[in-house]
Amino acid sequence: MNELQVLILGLLLGGVYALMASGLTLLFGVMRVVNLAHAAFIVVGAYGAYFAFELLGLDPFVALGLIMPAFFLLGMGLYRLLFPRIEGSPRFGEMTVLMTFGLALIIEGLLAFYFTGIFRSVDPPYATQAFILGPVFVPRAQLYASLTSVVLLMGLWAFLRMTRTGYAIRATMQNRVAAQVVGVNVRRISTVSFGIGMALAGAAGTLVSFIFTFFPARHWQWIAILLALIVLGGMGSLKGAVVGAVVLAVASSFVSDRIGPTWAPMTFFAALFVTLMVRPRGLFGKEIDR
Amino acid sequence: MRRLAWTLAVSLIFAACAGGGGGATTTAAGGVTTTTAAPGTTAPTPTGGEAPIRIGVSLPLTGEFSIPGSKHRDGYQYCIDEINARGGLLGRQVELLVEDNRSDTEVAVSQYERFISAQQVDLLFGTFSSLLTFPVSAVAEQAGMVYPVPSGGALRIWERGFQNIFYFQQTAVEETGVAPVGMLEYYRDQGVIPEDQFPTTAAVVYADDFFAAAIANGLLGGEVTIPDSDKVISLAPGYLAEAGIEAVFVEQWPIGFTDWLTLANSIRNSGAEMVMATTASPDEAVSLVNALRTVGVQPSVMYTSQGTQSEFYDALGEAAEGIVIQSSWHPRADWEGLLAGEPFSNSDFIEGFTAAFGRAPDEDEAIPFAVCQGMEQAVRGVGSTDNAAMRQWLHDRTPEDPVKTILGDFYWDERGLPFDRFQLMTQWQNGNLEFVFPVGEFPGTVDLVFPKPAW
Repeated sequence: MNELQVLILGLLLGGVYALMASGLTLLFGVMRVVNLAHAAFIVVGAYGAYFAFELLGLDPFVALGLIMPAFFLLGMGLYRLLFPRIEGSPRFGEMTVLMTFGLALIIEGLLAFYFTGIFRSVDPPYATQAFILGPVFVPRAQLYASLTSVVLLMGLWAFLRMTRTGYAIRATMQNRVAAQVVGVNVRRISTVSFGIGMALAGAAGTLVSFIFTFFPARHWQWIAILLALIVLGGMGSLKGAVVGAVVLAVASSFVSDRIGPTWAPMTFFAALFVTLMVRPRGLFGKEIDR
Repeated sequence: MRRLAWTLAVSLIFAACAGGGGGATTTAAGGVTTTTAAPGTTAPTPTGGEAPIRIGVSLPLTGEFSIPGSKHRDGYQYCIDEINARGGLLGRQVELLVEDNRSDTEVAVSQYERFISAQQVDLLFGTFSSLLTFPVSAVAEQAGMVYPVPSGGALRIWERGFQNIFYFQQTAVEETGVAPVGMLEYYRDQGVIPEDQFPTTAAVVYADDFFAAAIANGLLGGEVTIPDSDKVISLAPGYLAEAGIEAVFVEQWPIGFTDWLTLANSIRNSGAEMVMATTASPDEAVSLVNALRTVGVQPSVMYTSQGTQSEFYDALGEAAEGIVIQSSWHPRADWEGLLAGEPFSNSDFIEGFTAAFGRAPDEDEAIPFAVCQGMEQAVRGVGSTDNAAMRQWLHDRTPEDPVKTILGDFYWDERGLPFDRFQLMTQWQNGNLEFVFPVGEFPGTVDLVFPKPAW
């Protein structure tokens, strides 16, 4: 019965990781940008939820409705500010890595300056409650966060499948040049995608704010985990990010239970090495002809 | 494809490098080249009595240890302010130079190297945590500077044969466990813990941290290997086994651990009556307690190595009730120390600190204050800031003529560990941190609440 318990904990954790990774993999798919600042924006979202809760008394699930649109706009603005000037560069990929790395450092520095390095977490009542179902328990905070993540990811999926902008985003993901040829405004699509990626980061931050403790430098640990799981799933593949997140979260929960918590983070890096050696494009990634 | 692979590889290397150091840029430690003899032996103040006595300390003001680190700064600063208000030291004002090492050992080492060789400070104060103290104390030892230690009682720090380090808490960390176990036995003998309810099983969980692992090691009766030597010290059979308590679950968690629910679930499955958790920061204790609540574990005794700070009760609320925590300092333990040659007791400290900072102090402010008192007495004792003479003076202390601080009297063995001192046991009761063990040393001790109220 303990296997079932560990499986439940792993699945719930995976649901949250999936949302954390979705924005990262979307941006890579559309723009070939490895956004190293993604987890830093998740931390910003968590601070947003923290202050909404502490100062305004807003439950994180209410704050979610404010943080996502704010992050969407912020993302579009940041894209317009930072990316057009390096777009034409033959070393675009490398430059975005450096730029987003710098962005992550700036965000971390600003957060530490204004909010100090103190550990924070949002503490709504359900954060320490669980549903007891016979021999197993389901932690409420993790359950709600996972369900929200599923709803948001389904919404994203529907948006990409059913709207004109969604078509254009998918077209750009498949072949940037061909999309341009058939009339897709790639820059506009990239701007919107960056906004969506940021909104997803804000949503993920809101949800992790009451699951994990966070502080300005926390994002390094998260970006390492997220990179590992989108590489496993296939960079640029949303389905891959979800599958990678769930598989690795469950695996790390079992490693934690059987071998010990010290080894749990190793699960992610072991998966990263194996994927890069055996199947570099990941489970659902496509071969990229560049 | 190749370019993509490069992009990814570069990203991962960046993430890995930054992850290790907690981000941000590194403070340049080099650049200033000054040839120095051991500072302290040659007085670096050409203008004589006018220049201030400068004291260097590198503290973790941000990052993992930011809360205790910032409090250490306040404790030191308050002491310096009080000394200056009493006319300074040897007729000179005292100046505290503080650097932020961001909880990073390499930054801490380079900052102390800079204090010693570039800035040529007169005295050093110790940093926070065993983790940072281990490498930093070696820097001070090489330079022949007295290095007073507010935090860092792991035996491996003290068994290296160093001459210049002095501990300002009660016992080596490995011996901490004698206090919680002794407390349980005492209250069993007093009848507060009924014989048949005395815990016989315990879950021992601990952080990947010098301090936390060392307490667990003493409880479990492990061994301590002293780095760079063949020395191995056995702690067998361990304080738990000596008291007839079986450790039915033992586990360590890594730095940056987040999966507390899985750990709490394993503790639940072990069926242990008592949970003993030694943590690297009070935040970990908060996370673990919250996970244990979520999972529905109800231990009869919950011991954590950290959590006497007011933030701990703020974070947990009523769930903190009944948790027992060891401490080096307690507001009721009214030891009488000295400052500027006059009596300065623990209650004087609490009163003065509260007036100056607008909040009541806790042990992370009291311990550095005691360090500062000790160094001040050493400077007065030798009549200069000659570190070699101060070291000898500190080693020469006796039970009759100790260093007198708000943490009690100190005199040290040849390793720099205090003689005849024991940690205090405290318990959260009705929102107050109460003093429960050892009994009889101070007025105001209350009985242990057993079993711990359900959370």
